[in-house]
Amino acid sequence: MANPKKSALSRERGRSGLLFGAPALIFVFLFLGLPIVQALYYSMTKWNGLSATWIGPSTFINEFKNPIFWRVMQNNALLLIAVPIAILIPMAIAYLLNEKVAGWKFFRSIYFLPTAISWVVIGMVAIRVFAQEGVLNQLLKAIGLGFIKTDLLSSEHGALLAVAITFIYSMVGTNTMIFLTGMANLDISLNEAARLDGAGDIRIFASVTLPQLKRFVQFSFVITVISAFTALFSLIFVMTGGGPGFGTTTLEFFVYQSAFAKGDFGAGAMLGFILFVIMAGLGAAQLTLTRSKE
Amino acid sequence: MNSFRKVFTLFSMSIFAVVMFYPFTFMIEQSFKSKEQFLGAPGHSLASWEKLFTVMPIGRQLINSVLVCMGAIAIILIFSTFAGFGLAKLTFRGTPYFFLGIVGAMLIPLHSIIIPAYVNISKLNLLTGYWGAIIMYAALGTPFATFLMTSYFRGIPDEIIEASVVDGLNYRGVFRKIAMPLAFPAIATVVVLQFIQIWCDLLVGLLFLQDPNKRTITVGLGALSAGRTTDIPVLLAGSLVSAIPAIIVYLIFQRQLVAGLTAGIGK
Repeated sequence: MANPKKSALSRERGRSGLLFGAPALIFVFLFLGLPIVQALYYSMTKWNGLSATWIGPSTFINEFKNPIFWRVMQNNALLLIAVPIAILIPMAIAYLLNEKVAGWKFFRSIYFLPTAISWVVIGMVAIRVFAQEGVLNQLLKAIGLGFIKTDLLSSEHGALLAVAITFIYSMVGTNTMIFLTGMANLDISLNEAARLDGAGDIRIFASVTLPQLKRFVQFSFVITVISAFTALFSLIFVMTGGGPGFGTTTLEFFVYQSAFAKGDFGAGAMLGFILFVIMAGLGAAQLTLTRSKE
Repeated sequence: MNSFRKVFTLFSMSIFAVVMFYPFTFMIEQSFKSKEQFLGAPGHSLASWEKLFTVMPIGRQLINSVLVCMGAIAIILIFSTFAGFGLAKLTFRGTPYFFLGIVGAMLIPLHSIIIPAYVNISKLNLLTGYWGAIIMYAALGTPFATFLMTSYFRGIPDEIIEASVVDGLNYRGVFRKIAMPLAFPAIATVVVLQFIQIWCDLLVGLLFLQDPNKRTITVGLGALSAGRTTDIPVLLAGSLVSAIPAIIVYLIFQRQLVAGLTAGIGK
Protein backbone atom coordinates (compact mmCIF):
# COMPACT_ATOMS: atom_id res chain seq x y z
CA MET A 1 0.00 0.00 0.00
CA ALA A 2 1.22 3.48 -0.83
CA ASN A 3 2.26 5.92 1.81
CA PRO A 4 -1.09 6.96 3.38
CA LYS A 5 0.18 10.41 4.31
CA LYS A 6 1.14 11.17 0.75
CA SER A 7 -2.18 10.05 -0.69
CA ALA A 8 -4.02 12.19 1.85
CA LEU A 9 -1.92 15.10 0.70
CA SER A 10 -2.64 14.43 -2.96
CA ARG A 11 -6.35 14.12 -2.19
CA GLU A 12 -6.18 17.47 -0.43
CA ARG A 13 -4.37 18.89 -3.43
CA GLY A 14 -6.96 17.49 -5.81
CA ARG A 15 -9.80 18.96 -3.78
CA SER A 16 -8.11 22.37 -3.88
CA GLY A 17 -7.57 22.01 -7.63
CA LEU A 18 -11.27 21.37 -8.07
CA LEU A 19 -12.18 24.42 -6.01
CA PHE A 20 -9.72 26.61 -7.91
CA GLY A 21 -10.94 25.52 -11.32
CA ALA A 22 -14.67 25.29 -10.67
CA PRO A 23 -15.57 29.03 -10.70
CA ALA A 24 -14.05 29.56 -14.16
CA LEU A 25 -15.67 26.40 -15.49
CA ILE A 26 -19.10 27.36 -14.17
CA PHE A 27 -18.77 30.93 -15.42
CA VAL A 28 -17.71 29.84 -18.90
CA PHE A 29 -20.42 27.20 -18.98
CA LEU A 30 -23.17 29.67 -18.01
CA PHE A 31 -22.29 32.38 -20.50
CA LEU A 32 -20.71 30.47 -23.40
CA GLY A 33 -21.61 26.77 -23.06
CA LEU A 34 -25.27 27.12 -22.23
CA PRO A 35 -25.96 29.68 -25.00
CA ILE A 36 -24.49 27.38 -27.65
CA VAL A 37 -26.89 24.62 -26.53
CA GLN A 38 -29.71 27.17 -26.55
CA ALA A 39 -28.63 28.27 -30.02
CA LEU A 40 -29.15 24.72 -31.27
CA TYR A 41 -32.55 24.48 -29.60
CA TYR A 42 -33.80 27.88 -30.73
CA SER A 43 -32.53 27.33 -34.26
CA MET A 44 -35.34 24.78 -34.60
CA THR A 45 -38.00 27.20 -33.43
CA LYS A 46 -39.75 30.29 -34.58
CA TRP A 47 -38.48 32.81 -32.07
CA ASN A 48 -38.82 36.56 -31.70
CA GLY A 49 -36.78 36.76 -28.50
CA LEU A 50 -39.82 36.48 -26.24
CA SER A 51 -41.79 33.43 -27.24
CA ALA A 52 -40.61 30.44 -29.23
CA THR A 53 -42.69 27.92 -31.15
CA TRP A 54 -41.10 24.57 -31.91
CA ILE A 55 -40.75 23.74 -35.60
CA GLY A 56 -38.04 21.10 -35.77
CA PRO A 57 -34.96 20.34 -37.86
CA SER A 58 -36.81 21.36 -41.02
CA THR A 59 -35.71 24.95 -40.29
CA PHE A 60 -32.19 23.95 -41.34
CA ILE A 61 -33.45 22.34 -44.54
CA ASN A 62 -35.44 25.44 -45.36
CA GLU A 63 -32.40 27.61 -44.76
CA PHE A 64 -30.28 25.42 -47.04
CA LYS A 65 -32.88 25.98 -49.76
CA ASN A 66 -32.67 29.74 -49.30
CA PRO A 67 -30.63 31.32 -52.11
CA ILE A 68 -29.67 34.28 -49.88
CA PHE A 69 -27.98 31.87 -47.47
CA TRP A 70 -25.82 30.56 -50.31
CA ARG A 71 -25.11 34.11 -51.49
CA VAL A 72 -23.80 34.82 -47.99
CA MET A 73 -21.75 31.62 -47.90
CA GLN A 74 -20.29 32.60 -51.26
CA ASN A 75 -19.07 35.86 -49.72
CA ASN A 76 -17.38 33.90 -46.95
CA ALA A 77 -15.75 31.62 -49.49
CA LEU A 78 -14.55 34.57 -51.59
CA LEU A 79 -13.06 36.23 -48.53
CA LEU A 80 -10.95 33.13 -47.95
CA ILE A 81 -9.02 34.08 -51.10
CA ALA A 82 -7.65 36.97 -49.04
CA VAL A 83 -6.12 34.59 -46.49
CA PRO A 84 -2.92 33.63 -48.36
CA ILE A 85 -2.30 37.30 -49.21
CA ALA A 86 -2.84 38.23 -45.56
CA ILE A 87 -0.09 35.73 -44.73
CA LEU A 88 2.40 36.42 -47.54
CA ILE A 89 2.59 40.20 -47.12
CA PRO A 90 3.36 40.02 -43.39
CA MET A 91 5.89 37.28 -44.12
CA ALA A 92 7.69 39.61 -46.52
CA ILE A 93 7.53 42.45 -43.99
CA ALA A 94 8.90 40.24 -41.23
CA TYR A 95 11.68 39.10 -43.56
CA LEU A 96 12.67 42.72 -44.22
CA LEU A 97 12.53 43.59 -40.52
CA ASN A 98 14.62 40.56 -39.71
CA GLU A 99 17.45 41.94 -41.84
CA LYS A 100 17.82 44.27 -38.85
CA VAL A 101 18.86 47.32 -40.85
CA ALA A 102 19.39 50.43 -38.71
CA GLY A 103 16.02 51.69 -37.49
CA TRP A 104 14.20 48.37 -37.82
CA LYS A 105 12.74 48.68 -34.33
CA PHE A 106 11.13 51.96 -35.27
CA PHE A 107 9.60 50.36 -38.36
CA ARG A 108 8.41 47.43 -36.29
CA SER A 109 6.53 49.79 -33.98
CA ILE A 110 4.87 51.48 -36.95
CA TYR A 111 3.80 48.18 -38.48
CA PHE A 112 2.29 46.94 -35.24
CA LEU A 113 0.53 50.22 -34.51
CA PRO A 114 -2.73 49.43 -36.38
CA THR A 115 -3.09 46.33 -34.16
CA ALA A 116 -3.95 48.69 -31.33
CA ILE A 117 -6.76 50.50 -33.10
CA SER A 118 -10.31 49.30 -33.54
CA TRP A 119 -11.38 47.84 -36.87
CA VAL A 120 -14.20 50.38 -36.55
CA VAL A 121 -11.58 53.11 -36.97
CA ILE A 122 -9.76 51.27 -39.75
CA GLY A 123 -13.07 50.74 -41.54
CA MET A 124 -13.93 54.39 -41.21
CA VAL A 125 -10.69 55.44 -42.87
CA ALA A 126 -11.06 52.69 -45.48
CA ILE A 127 -14.38 54.10 -46.73
CA ARG A 128 -12.66 57.39 -47.56
CA VAL A 129 -9.83 55.56 -49.29
CA PHE A 130 -12.18 53.65 -51.55
CA ALA A 131 -14.69 56.49 -52.09
CA GLN A 132 -15.15 57.97 -55.54
CA GLU A 133 -13.19 61.09 -54.59
CA GLY A 134 -11.00 59.03 -52.30
CA VAL A 135 -7.31 58.49 -52.01
CA LEU A 136 -7.24 55.40 -54.21
CA ASN A 137 -8.49 57.35 -57.21
CA GLN A 138 -6.18 60.28 -56.46
CA LEU A 139 -3.31 57.83 -56.34
CA LEU A 140 -4.28 56.23 -59.63
CA LYS A 141 -4.52 59.68 -61.19
CA ALA A 142 -1.13 60.67 -59.81
CA ILE A 143 0.60 57.75 -61.49
CA GLY A 144 -1.16 58.45 -64.78
CA LEU A 145 -3.87 55.82 -64.47
CA GLY A 146 -6.65 58.37 -63.93
CA PHE A 147 -8.80 56.65 -66.54
CA ILE A 148 -9.34 53.74 -64.12
CA LYS A 149 -11.80 55.54 -61.91
CA THR A 150 -12.77 53.07 -59.25
CA ASP A 151 -15.92 53.15 -57.20
CA LEU A 152 -15.51 49.92 -55.32
CA LEU A 153 -18.08 50.45 -52.61
CA SER A 154 -20.97 50.90 -55.04
CA SER A 155 -20.89 47.45 -56.63
CA GLU A 156 -21.41 44.11 -54.91
CA HIS A 157 -18.12 42.52 -55.85
CA GLY A 158 -16.24 45.81 -55.60
CA ALA A 159 -17.43 46.32 -52.05
CA LEU A 160 -16.40 42.79 -51.13
CA LEU A 161 -12.98 43.47 -52.65
CA ALA A 162 -12.73 46.66 -50.58
CA VAL A 163 -13.61 44.75 -47.41
CA ALA A 164 -11.08 42.05 -48.32
CA ILE A 165 -8.29 44.59 -48.86
CA THR A 166 -9.11 46.28 -45.56
CA PHE A 167 -9.14 42.88 -43.87
CA ILE A 168 -5.68 42.08 -45.26
CA TYR A 169 -4.44 45.43 -44.03
CA SER A 170 -5.90 44.82 -40.57
CA MET A 171 -4.15 41.46 -40.28
CA VAL A 172 -0.68 42.76 -41.16
CA GLY A 173 0.29 43.71 -37.60
CA THR A 174 -0.68 40.43 -35.95
CA ASN A 175 0.76 38.20 -38.65
CA THR A 176 4.01 40.18 -38.84
CA MET A 177 4.34 39.73 -35.07
CA ILE A 178 3.90 35.98 -35.47
CA PHE A 179 6.52 35.67 -38.22
CA LEU A 180 8.97 37.96 -36.49
CA THR A 181 8.72 35.81 -33.37
CA GLY A 182 9.38 32.79 -35.56
CA MET A 183 12.33 34.36 -37.32
CA ALA A 184 13.90 35.35 -34.00
CA ASN A 185 14.35 31.65 -33.26
CA LEU A 186 15.89 30.64 -36.57
CA ASP A 187 19.08 28.63 -36.66
CA ILE A 188 21.42 31.04 -38.50
CA SER A 189 24.21 28.46 -38.92
CA LEU A 190 21.98 26.58 -41.38
CA ASN A 191 21.80 29.71 -43.58
CA GLU A 192 25.57 30.00 -43.62
CA ALA A 193 25.98 26.33 -44.45
CA ALA A 194 23.52 26.71 -47.32
CA ARG A 195 25.31 29.83 -48.56
CA LEU A 196 28.61 27.97 -48.58
CA ASP A 197 26.91 25.34 -50.70
CA GLY A 198 26.10 28.09 -53.17
CA ALA A 199 22.42 28.69 -52.42
CA GLY A 200 20.97 32.15 -53.20
CA ASP A 201 18.68 34.20 -50.94
CA ILE A 202 15.46 32.90 -52.44
CA ARG A 203 16.66 29.32 -52.28
CA ILE A 204 17.73 29.75 -48.67
CA PHE A 205 14.38 31.25 -47.73
CA ALA A 206 12.40 28.49 -49.45
CA SER A 207 14.49 25.50 -48.38
CA VAL A 208 16.01 26.57 -45.06
CA THR A 209 13.97 29.34 -43.46
CA LEU A 210 10.44 28.35 -44.46
CA PRO A 211 10.60 24.78 -43.11
CA GLN A 212 11.74 26.16 -39.78
CA LEU A 213 8.78 28.56 -39.79
CA LYS A 214 6.22 25.84 -40.46
CA ARG A 215 4.60 26.04 -37.06
CA PHE A 216 4.31 29.82 -37.33
CA VAL A 217 2.81 29.65 -40.80
CA GLN A 218 0.23 27.18 -39.49
CA PHE A 219 -0.58 29.41 -36.54
CA SER A 220 -0.99 32.53 -38.64
CA PHE A 221 -3.11 30.56 -41.12
CA VAL A 222 -5.44 29.44 -38.33
CA ILE A 223 -5.69 32.94 -36.85
CA THR A 224 -6.33 34.48 -40.27
CA VAL A 225 -9.03 31.97 -41.23
CA ILE A 226 -10.76 32.39 -37.87
CA SER A 227 -10.63 36.16 -38.32
CA ALA A 228 -12.02 35.94 -41.84
CA PHE A 229 -15.07 34.11 -40.49
CA THR A 230 -15.58 35.87 -37.18
CA ALA A 231 -13.80 39.23 -36.95
CA LEU A 232 -15.17 41.19 -39.88
CA PHE A 233 -18.31 42.47 -38.20
CA SER A 234 -16.89 45.90 -37.36
CA LEU A 235 -15.45 46.43 -40.84
CA ILE A 236 -18.69 45.43 -42.54
CA PHE A 237 -20.88 47.36 -40.12
CA VAL A 238 -18.93 50.56 -40.69
CA MET A 239 -17.96 50.20 -44.36
CA THR A 240 -20.96 48.70 -46.12
CA GLY A 241 -23.67 47.61 -43.70
CA GLY A 242 -23.63 44.29 -45.55
CA GLY A 243 -24.51 45.85 -48.90
CA PRO A 244 -24.91 46.74 -51.62
CA GLY A 245 -27.63 44.09 -51.72
CA PHE A 246 -26.09 41.13 -49.95
CA GLY A 247 -22.73 41.88 -51.55
CA THR A 248 -20.74 42.01 -48.33
CA THR A 249 -23.01 40.12 -45.94
CA THR A 250 -20.98 37.32 -44.39
CA LEU A 251 -22.38 34.63 -42.13
CA GLU A 252 -21.44 36.52 -38.96
CA PHE A 253 -23.07 39.70 -40.24
CA PHE A 254 -26.12 37.73 -41.39
CA VAL A 255 -26.59 36.52 -37.79
CA TYR A 256 -26.78 40.10 -36.59
CA GLN A 257 -28.98 41.23 -39.47
CA SER A 258 -31.48 38.40 -39.13
CA ALA A 259 -31.93 38.86 -35.41
CA PHE A 260 -31.65 42.59 -34.93
CA ALA A 261 -32.74 44.08 -38.24
CA LYS A 262 -35.48 41.55 -39.03
CA GLY A 263 -36.33 40.42 -35.50
CA ASP A 264 -36.03 36.76 -36.52
CA PHE A 265 -34.10 35.46 -33.51
CA GLY A 266 -34.66 31.85 -34.53
CA ALA A 267 -32.87 32.40 -37.84
CA GLY A 268 -30.12 34.35 -36.07
CA ALA A 269 -29.57 31.51 -33.61
CA MET A 270 -29.53 28.97 -36.45
CA LEU A 271 -27.03 30.92 -38.57
CA GLY A 272 -24.85 31.32 -35.49
CA PHE A 273 -24.99 27.59 -34.90
CA ILE A 274 -24.07 26.91 -38.53
CA LEU A 275 -21.07 29.20 -38.07
CA PHE A 276 -20.11 27.20 -34.98
CA VAL A 277 -20.30 23.93 -36.92
CA ILE A 278 -18.16 25.35 -39.73
CA MET A 279 -15.52 26.59 -37.29
CA ALA A 280 -15.51 23.29 -35.40
CA GLY A 281 -15.17 21.42 -38.71
CA LEU A 282 -12.25 23.61 -39.80
CA GLY A 283 -10.64 23.13 -36.40
CA ALA A 284 -10.97 19.36 -36.62
CA ALA A 285 -9.61 19.35 -40.18
CA GLN A 286 -6.63 21.45 -39.13
CA LEU A 287 -5.93 19.13 -36.21
CA THR A 288 -6.04 15.95 -38.34
CA LEU A 289 -3.84 17.56 -40.99
CA THR A 290 -1.11 18.59 -38.57
CA ARG A 291 -1.32 15.27 -36.69
CA SER A 292 -1.02 13.15 -39.83
CA LYS A 293 2.03 15.10 -40.98
CA GLU A 294 3.81 14.57 -37.69
CA MET B 1 25.16 42.86 -46.18
CA ASN B 2 26.05 44.97 -49.19
CA SER B 3 24.88 48.54 -49.38
CA PHE B 4 22.54 48.07 -52.33
CA ARG B 5 20.63 45.51 -50.37
CA LYS B 6 20.54 47.77 -47.33
CA VAL B 7 19.11 50.64 -49.37
CA PHE B 8 16.55 48.36 -50.98
CA THR B 9 15.45 47.03 -47.58
CA LEU B 10 15.17 50.51 -46.11
CA PHE B 11 13.26 51.74 -49.14
CA SER B 12 10.70 48.91 -49.03
CA MET B 13 10.31 49.25 -45.29
CA SER B 14 9.66 52.97 -45.67
CA ILE B 15 6.92 52.34 -48.21
CA PHE B 16 5.26 49.79 -45.92
CA ALA B 17 5.60 52.29 -43.07
CA VAL B 18 3.78 55.00 -45.04
CA VAL B 19 0.95 52.56 -45.80
CA MET B 20 0.68 51.22 -42.26
CA PHE B 21 0.75 54.70 -40.77
CA TYR B 22 -1.71 56.03 -43.31
CA PRO B 23 -4.87 55.83 -41.15
CA PHE B 24 -3.17 58.03 -38.58
CA THR B 25 -1.90 60.55 -41.12
CA PHE B 26 -5.35 60.65 -42.65
CA MET B 27 -7.21 61.08 -39.34
CA ILE B 28 -4.84 63.75 -38.11
CA GLU B 29 -4.93 65.77 -41.31
CA GLN B 30 -8.64 65.50 -42.09
CA SER B 31 -9.82 66.14 -38.54
CA PHE B 32 -8.26 69.60 -38.77
CA LYS B 33 -10.63 70.51 -41.57
CA SER B 34 -14.17 71.80 -41.51
CA LYS B 35 -16.85 69.95 -43.46
CA GLU B 36 -16.38 72.32 -46.42
CA GLN B 37 -12.61 71.99 -46.33
CA PHE B 38 -12.97 68.22 -46.28
CA LEU B 39 -15.02 68.46 -49.47
CA GLY B 40 -12.34 70.47 -51.22
CA ALA B 41 -12.15 74.00 -49.86
CA PRO B 42 -8.55 74.96 -48.99
CA GLY B 43 -7.11 75.44 -45.53
CA HIS B 44 -7.41 73.90 -42.10
CA SER B 45 -9.48 74.74 -39.04
CA LEU B 46 -10.43 73.61 -35.58
CA ALA B 47 -14.14 73.59 -36.45
CA SER B 48 -14.47 69.81 -36.39
CA TRP B 49 -12.71 69.42 -33.07
CA GLU B 50 -15.01 72.04 -31.56
CA LYS B 51 -18.02 70.26 -33.00
CA LEU B 52 -16.84 66.86 -31.78
CA PHE B 53 -17.66 67.66 -28.19
CA THR B 54 -21.23 68.62 -29.04
CA VAL B 55 -21.85 65.68 -31.39
CA MET B 56 -20.38 62.97 -29.17
CA PRO B 57 -20.38 62.84 -25.36
CA ILE B 58 -16.73 62.00 -25.69
CA GLY B 59 -15.68 62.37 -22.04
CA ARG B 60 -18.57 60.21 -20.86
CA GLN B 61 -17.78 57.57 -23.48
CA LEU B 62 -14.10 57.44 -22.56
CA ILE B 63 -15.07 56.89 -18.93
CA ASN B 64 -17.54 54.19 -20.01
CA SER B 65 -14.81 52.44 -21.98
CA VAL B 66 -12.49 52.50 -18.99
CA LEU B 67 -15.22 51.21 -16.64
CA VAL B 68 -16.22 48.35 -18.91
CA CYS B 69 -12.59 47.38 -19.55
CA MET B 70 -11.69 47.47 -15.86
CA GLY B 71 -14.74 45.49 -14.76
CA ALA B 72 -14.28 42.78 -17.37
CA ILE B 73 -10.51 42.50 -16.86
CA ALA B 74 -10.93 42.22 -13.08
CA ILE B 75 -13.37 39.31 -13.51
CA ILE B 76 -11.16 37.63 -16.12
CA LEU B 77 -8.13 37.88 -13.83
CA ILE B 78 -9.93 36.42 -10.83
CA PHE B 79 -11.27 33.41 -12.72
CA SER B 80 -8.19 32.79 -14.84
CA THR B 81 -5.50 33.06 -12.18
CA PHE B 82 -7.39 30.71 -9.85
CA ALA B 83 -8.18 28.25 -12.61
CA GLY B 84 -4.72 28.50 -14.17
CA PHE B 85 -3.02 27.75 -10.86
CA GLY B 86 -5.40 24.93 -10.05
CA LEU B 87 -5.11 23.31 -13.47
CA ALA B 88 -1.33 23.61 -13.62
CA LYS B 89 -0.31 22.81 -10.08
CA LEU B 90 -3.17 21.16 -8.19
CA THR B 91 -3.91 18.37 -10.64
CA PHE B 92 -6.47 15.67 -10.02
CA ARG B 93 -8.24 13.13 -12.18
CA GLY B 94 -10.70 15.70 -13.55
CA THR B 95 -8.05 18.28 -14.49
CA PRO B 96 -7.93 17.51 -18.23
CA TYR B 97 -11.74 17.81 -18.46
CA PHE B 98 -11.74 21.08 -16.56
CA PHE B 99 -9.04 22.39 -18.87
CA LEU B 100 -10.93 21.26 -21.96
CA GLY B 101 -14.19 22.70 -20.63
CA ILE B 102 -12.73 26.15 -20.02
CA VAL B 103 -10.11 26.53 -22.74
CA GLY B 104 -12.14 24.62 -25.34
CA ALA B 105 -14.73 27.41 -25.18
CA MET B 106 -12.27 29.47 -27.24
CA LEU B 107 -13.60 27.53 -30.22
CA ILE B 108 -17.08 29.01 -29.82
CA PRO B 109 -17.40 32.08 -32.04
CA LEU B 110 -19.04 35.10 -30.45
CA HIS B 111 -21.71 35.18 -33.16
CA SER B 112 -22.78 31.63 -32.42
CA ILE B 113 -23.87 32.44 -28.89
CA ILE B 114 -24.71 36.11 -29.12
CA ILE B 115 -28.43 35.75 -29.81
CA PRO B 116 -29.24 33.39 -26.88
CA ALA B 117 -26.79 35.29 -24.67
CA TYR B 118 -28.52 38.56 -25.53
CA VAL B 119 -31.90 37.14 -24.56
CA ASN B 120 -30.48 35.57 -21.35
CA ILE B 121 -28.85 38.82 -20.30
CA SER B 122 -31.99 40.77 -21.09
CA LYS B 123 -34.00 38.35 -18.90
CA LEU B 124 -31.54 39.09 -16.11
CA ASN B 125 -32.28 42.79 -16.68
CA LEU B 126 -28.64 43.59 -17.30
CA LEU B 127 -28.89 45.28 -20.70
CA THR B 128 -29.32 48.83 -19.46
CA GLY B 129 -26.35 49.09 -17.10
CA TYR B 130 -22.73 48.15 -17.65
CA TRP B 131 -22.99 44.63 -16.27
CA GLY B 132 -24.32 42.88 -19.36
CA ALA B 133 -21.36 43.97 -21.46
CA ILE B 134 -18.89 43.40 -18.62
CA ILE B 135 -20.09 39.82 -18.11
CA MET B 136 -19.98 39.06 -21.84
CA TYR B 137 -16.48 40.48 -22.29
CA ALA B 138 -15.35 38.59 -19.19
CA ALA B 139 -16.85 35.31 -20.42
CA LEU B 140 -15.27 35.75 -23.85
CA GLY B 141 -11.87 36.59 -22.37
CA THR B 142 -11.68 33.95 -19.65
CA PRO B 143 -10.90 30.88 -21.83
CA PHE B 144 -7.80 32.35 -23.46
CA ALA B 145 -6.65 34.00 -20.22
CA THR B 146 -6.97 30.64 -18.45
CA PHE B 147 -4.95 29.02 -21.22
CA LEU B 148 -2.20 31.64 -20.78
CA MET B 149 -2.22 31.36 -17.00
CA THR B 150 -2.13 27.57 -17.05
CA SER B 151 0.85 27.46 -19.37
CA TYR B 152 2.56 30.11 -17.30
CA PHE B 153 2.02 28.34 -13.96
CA ARG B 154 3.20 25.08 -15.51
CA GLY B 155 6.59 26.73 -15.86
CA ILE B 156 6.88 27.28 -12.12
CA PRO B 157 8.68 24.34 -10.46
CA ASP B 158 6.55 22.07 -8.26
CA GLU B 159 9.27 22.16 -5.64
CA ILE B 160 8.53 25.78 -4.77
CA ILE B 161 4.92 24.93 -4.06
CA GLU B 162 5.67 21.71 -2.18
CA ALA B 163 8.27 23.45 -0.04
CA SER B 164 5.73 26.09 0.99
CA VAL B 165 3.14 23.42 1.78
CA VAL B 166 5.68 21.63 3.95
CA ASP B 167 6.30 24.97 5.64
CA GLY B 168 2.65 24.96 6.67
CA LEU B 169 0.94 27.14 4.03
CA ASN B 170 -2.39 25.91 2.69
CA TYR B 171 -3.03 26.10 -1.07
CA ARG B 172 -4.87 29.38 -0.80
CA GLY B 173 -1.83 30.79 0.96
CA VAL B 174 0.53 29.38 -1.67
CA PHE B 175 -1.63 30.92 -4.38
CA ARG B 176 -1.72 34.33 -2.74
CA LYS B 177 1.81 34.61 -1.40
CA ILE B 178 3.83 32.64 -3.95
CA ALA B 179 2.02 32.01 -7.21
CA MET B 180 0.42 35.44 -7.70
CA PRO B 181 3.63 37.48 -7.32
CA LEU B 182 5.39 35.10 -9.71
CA ALA B 183 2.56 35.39 -12.24
CA PHE B 184 2.97 39.10 -12.74
CA PRO B 185 4.26 38.89 -16.35
CA ALA B 186 1.37 36.66 -17.38
CA ILE B 187 -1.12 38.95 -15.66
CA ALA B 188 0.34 41.94 -17.49
CA THR B 189 -0.05 40.11 -20.81
CA VAL B 190 -3.71 39.29 -20.10
CA VAL B 191 -4.45 42.86 -19.03
CA VAL B 192 -2.88 44.45 -22.11
CA LEU B 193 -4.40 42.00 -24.56
CA GLN B 194 -7.88 42.21 -23.07
CA PHE B 195 -7.73 45.98 -22.70
CA ILE B 196 -7.03 46.43 -26.39
CA GLN B 197 -9.57 43.82 -27.43
CA ILE B 198 -12.39 45.19 -25.30
CA TRP B 199 -11.54 48.81 -26.02
CA CYS B 200 -11.71 48.13 -29.77
CA ASP B 201 -14.79 45.90 -29.79
CA LEU B 202 -18.01 46.97 -31.44
CA LEU B 203 -20.54 44.12 -31.48
CA VAL B 204 -20.83 43.24 -27.79
CA GLY B 205 -21.06 46.89 -26.79
CA LEU B 206 -23.55 47.62 -29.54
CA LEU B 207 -25.94 44.96 -28.24
CA PHE B 208 -25.27 44.79 -24.51
CA LEU B 209 -25.00 48.51 -23.71
CA GLN B 210 -28.55 49.57 -24.53
CA ASP B 211 -28.39 52.89 -22.69
CA PRO B 212 -26.73 55.41 -25.07
CA ASN B 213 -25.16 57.11 -22.03
CA LYS B 214 -23.34 53.91 -21.17
CA ARG B 215 -21.83 53.31 -24.61
CA THR B 216 -18.10 52.88 -24.96
CA ILE B 217 -16.29 55.22 -27.31
CA THR B 218 -15.86 52.59 -30.02
CA VAL B 219 -19.56 51.79 -29.93
CA GLY B 220 -20.45 55.49 -29.91
CA LEU B 221 -18.29 55.95 -32.96
CA GLY B 222 -19.67 52.92 -34.76
CA ALA B 223 -23.24 53.98 -34.09
CA LEU B 224 -22.54 57.52 -35.27
CA SER B 225 -20.85 56.40 -38.47
CA ALA B 226 -23.69 54.04 -39.35
CA GLY B 227 -26.23 56.84 -38.91
CA ARG B 228 -27.35 59.10 -41.73
CA THR B 229 -26.09 62.51 -40.61
CA THR B 230 -22.37 62.15 -40.66
CA ASP B 231 -19.92 64.96 -40.59
CA ILE B 232 -16.84 63.02 -41.65
CA PRO B 233 -14.06 65.24 -40.22
CA VAL B 234 -15.86 65.13 -36.86
CA LEU B 235 -16.02 61.35 -37.05
CA LEU B 236 -12.31 61.21 -37.82
CA ALA B 237 -11.52 63.46 -34.87
CA GLY B 238 -13.56 61.10 -32.69
CA SER B 239 -11.75 58.09 -34.16
CA LEU B 240 -8.43 59.66 -33.30
CA VAL B 241 -9.51 60.29 -29.70
CA SER B 242 -10.77 56.72 -29.41
CA ALA B 243 -7.50 55.33 -30.74
CA ILE B 244 -5.15 57.24 -28.45
CA PRO B 245 -5.61 55.34 -25.14
CA ALA B 246 -5.14 51.94 -26.79
CA ILE B 247 -2.10 53.24 -28.68
CA ILE B 248 -0.52 54.51 -25.46
CA VAL B 249 -1.10 51.15 -23.79
CA TYR B 250 0.36 49.44 -26.85
CA LEU B 251 3.46 51.63 -26.95
CA ILE B 252 4.20 51.02 -23.27
CA PHE B 253 3.41 47.30 -23.25
CA GLN B 254 4.41 46.28 -26.77
CA ARG B 255 6.33 43.28 -25.43
CA GLN B 256 3.42 41.92 -23.40
CA LEU B 257 1.10 42.34 -26.36
CA VAL B 258 3.40 40.40 -28.66
CA ALA B 259 3.77 37.72 -25.97
CA GLY B 260 0.00 37.45 -25.71
CA LEU B 261 -0.70 37.32 -29.41
CA THR B 262 1.92 34.68 -30.06
CA ALA B 263 1.24 32.64 -26.91
CA GLY B 264 -0.89 30.12 -28.78
CA ILE B 265 1.97 28.86 -30.93
CA GLY B 266 3.31 26.56 -28.23
CA LYS B 267 6.77 25.22 -27.78
